[in-house]
Amino acid sequence: MSNRSDIDDRADSNLNTNSQQPKQSNGSVWVGEADFSVADEYRATCDLAPHAGAVVFFVGLVRDFYADKAADESVDYIELQHYPGMTESLCSEIVDQAHQRYPFEYARVLHRVGKLYAGDQIVMVAVAAQHRENAFQAAQFIMDFLKNRATFWKKEVGSRGQQWLGVKDKDKKALKRWQ
Amino acid sequence: MIKVLFFGGLQETAQTESCLIESQDVTNVRDLVVALSEQFSPSLINALNDETAMVSVNQQYAGWDVQLNDADEVGFLPPVSGG
Repeated sequence: MSNRSDIDDRADSNLNTNSQQPKQSNGSVWVGEADFSVADEYRATCDLAPHAGAVVFFVGLVRDFYADKAADESVDYIELQHYPGMTESLCSEIVDQAHQRYPFEYARVLHRVGKLYAGDQIVMVAVAAQHRENAFQAAQFIMDFLKNRATFWKKEVGSRGQQWLGVKDKDKKALKRWQ
Repeated sequence: MIKVLFFGGLQETAQTESCLIESQDVTNVRDLVVALSEQFSPSLINALNDETAMVSVNQQYAGWDVQLNDADEVGFLPPVSGG
């Protein structure tokens, strides 16, 4: 779990060595293997958005694999890779686009890569805005575009070998709401 | 030279994460795939020609007809699956 100094590094100094972290005005983006603490991230987001009246958090977890698999099929873990540099740039662009549509004070995007197990935290989007509507909308916008555009690739590894996953139809359809 | 990067399943099909291709006679991504066909298996070339494969040039999404220059970095990107 992250401690407070980790958070400050991510937000202010870009010192974390897991990946590149372009700094941009409307928020921060971090991609790496380390887990994160929602409590620490919440405090950091509030500090960076002192005038916010609403903070919306979305945290995505690695799903229980057995739920949508055949009885004799099991998944041991998933493995995520990404395109260092391009991923962070794309996520920053998505944050900027969200800010243009739904102005907010600050947004933070964290996405983990590497080997992850059921129940692990995989992604976090936090948006702090003056009012809740923009915070909700911007968080939803960021997640929908992150799912469809950001250069992450997910592989399931289990009893039947390994399988690379693609974007789901429901995630593609989710983009239409923003057109 | 043009630096070529493979990601996701394409990396496993190519059996490498990256390679360098002479930029001479390579004016766009289509030419680059022709040049790659001299070094890689038909299964990789078929996968690259698959309509679901995306391309980036210098870390920006790009079309297959975008002009390539020496020292460019081209990524072949299977469908993404983050989040």
